[in-house]
Parts: sequence; C-alpha cells; structure tokens
Amino acid sequence: MMTRQAQIFIVIFLLLVLAVIINMIKRRQLELKYVLLWMGCDIALIILTCAPDLMNILARMLGIQSPVNMIFFLGFLFSLMIIFSLTVTISRITAKVRKMAQEIAFLSERLDEEIKKRDIH
Amino acid sequence: MKKLVIIPAFNEAESIVGAVEDIRKNAPEFDYIVINDCSEDMTAEMCKKNDIKVLELPINLGIGGAVQTGYAYAYRNQYDIVVQFDGDGQHAACFLETMAEALISQEADMVIGSRFIEYQGFQSSGIRRVGIKIFAFLTKVLFGEKITDATSGMRMCNREVIKLFVQDYPRDYPEPETVCRLLRKKCRVIEVPVQMRRRFAGTSSISFGKSIYYMIKVTLAVLIERLR
Repeated sequence: MMTRQAQIFIVIFLLLVLAVIINMIKRRQLELKYVLLWMGCDIALIILTCAPDLMNILARMLGIQSPVNMIFFLGFLFSLMIIFSLTVTISRITAKVRKMAQEIAFLSERLDEEIKKRDIH
Repeated sequence: MKKLVIIPAFNEAESIVGAVEDIRKNAPEFDYIVINDCSEDMTAEMCKKNDIKVLELPINLGIGGAVQTGYAYAYRNQYDIVVQFDGDGQHAACFLETMAEALISQEADMVIGSRFIEYQGFQSSGIRRVGIKIFAFLTKVLFGEKITDATSGMRMCNREVIKLFVQDYPRDYPEPETVCRLLRKKCRVIEVPVQMRRRFAGTSSISFGKSIYYMIKVTLAVLIERLR
C-alpha cells in the first residue's frame, strides 16, 4: 500500500504536470484537442492516488489480484492510446500537407505563366 | 479531345529531356507536363532550359503524391484523357496513340500498357516478374479480372477515373492498388500490348531490400481494397 507521504508527493507531481499542460495551452504551445487524453490520464491518476480504495475495487472488478499490476496495465494501455491517437493525427496531417504542396505547385506554375506572358507584352 | 501526358520525375535530369522529346515527336497530339517531386539533381533546370512545362512540388510527396498532382492538374484544366508516363525512358511514346484509340473505341475507363501480352521489349528482371505474376493472380482471385501487368506505370484513363484519383490516391507503390480500386468500382480496365525499354539512366525506385516491403504493402493494400 502507498504511504501518506508517497500519496502527497505523487499528487503534487501530477498537479504540477496538469498546471504545466494548462499553461502551455494558454500560451498556445499545445492544441487542446491533442492534450485531452493526457489531461484525462493525469486526472485519473490523481483520483486513484487520492482514493486508493477505488484502485482495489477497480482491480477486483477487472479480476486483477494486485492493484499495482493494474496501475501498470492501465498506464500501458493509456500510453498506447495516446500513441495511437498520434498516428491517426499524423495520417491526417500527411493528407493535408500533400494537398497544400500540390496547391503550391499549381500556384507557382500559374505565376510563372503570368510572368512569362507579361514579359512578352 | 484534350489529352495530357503526366510525367512524374524524381532525380531524372539525365533522362527527362529524352522522354519529353519522345512525346513531342511520337505523340504530338498530347500535351505534357512534368511533375518534379522536389528532385535533388538538375531535373528542374533541365526542364526550364528545354522549355518543358513543369509543376514544382515544394516538398517530396513520393510517387503517389506526384502522380496525383498531375491528375489534379488535368482535372482542373479540363483534360478528357490522361496518361502516366515515366521520365526515365522506359516507356515509348509511340504507343500512346494506340492506347487512346483503345480507350475510346472500347469505351474503357483505363487502358494499361502491358509488357506481358506479346512478351516483347524489355521484360523486367526475373524476380520482379514473379511479383507481377503474384499480383496478377491476386487480382484474378479477388476481383475476377485478368490483368497481366498491374504494376505497369504506363496507364491512360478517362475523366471519370481522373476524378476518382484526384479524390484519393495511395502514397507509394500505387499501381496495383489503384487498378484493384477501379475493378471494385466496376470500371472497365483493359490492356494493350506495349514494349518497354531499359531505363536511360537512374535506378529503379524499388531496390532489392525494398521489394519485400513492396510485396507486403501492396498485398495488404489490395486485400484491404477488397474489404472496402
């Protein structure tokens, strides 16, 4: 079981992380859309640390004997979810970048044509 | 009928002018445009010097993205027929007119220039032919059509297909996948015999190490296409 000391330490750390994230969103260094998962993860961990009994109940519900194992498992699952959401995002961005590059190619071709035309006149 | 040849080029400085000369001489009915996929060599300069029309991509998109740029250009400029043509000298422009005739007279949506109908000209290396055979088998099993040369980069399509390709085109190794997509959409895909040459210069984009990845990726893509 966690000692009170560990609990306080972990909660402070998690709150700090949350503060940093919120501050970065405020300064527009992070897009809220992509940070929601991180925030959710952080808040879930705060709740579990504050109420270790919840951890035991949850572990029993999932049929996992040791709550610590469950934390590891859930942590791993959350990380995978975040990584996967990033892969989805990258795929979307790739499509958008491609579209933009093509548009730039068209524009610069048009521009060259126009310049040529003007030079002739 | 407005007809356009699109020539995707990545580091083809030594061969691009020859390929375009071939089109100017042997397929004068066709307009042409080079899509320079951010080449690191003198491809852009060679085109400028020889007064070849070129679309400059600001970043390297890969063969699929470059080809799609050509299709999008054709779509915007109201072309009725588009044909893909390699800038490395493998393809011969004298077959373009025959392909266009076949497309129109047989009311096809896509005409593929196939090396494996008359078995003439450069036949690709042995190991690659095995891959091509596997794809022919896959297309036959999954889509019920016999396509002898699904990997051929020499393909001509009508406006319907141009529109489809503008909407969506795979990033790399797009040929077999797009053929399967058209078959799934009940488009009419036919083949005419062509002869290909060894490339003038440059190396294939598919090295030996990549060919394993190629086989896996394309096989998966074709299977997923069947599930769509």
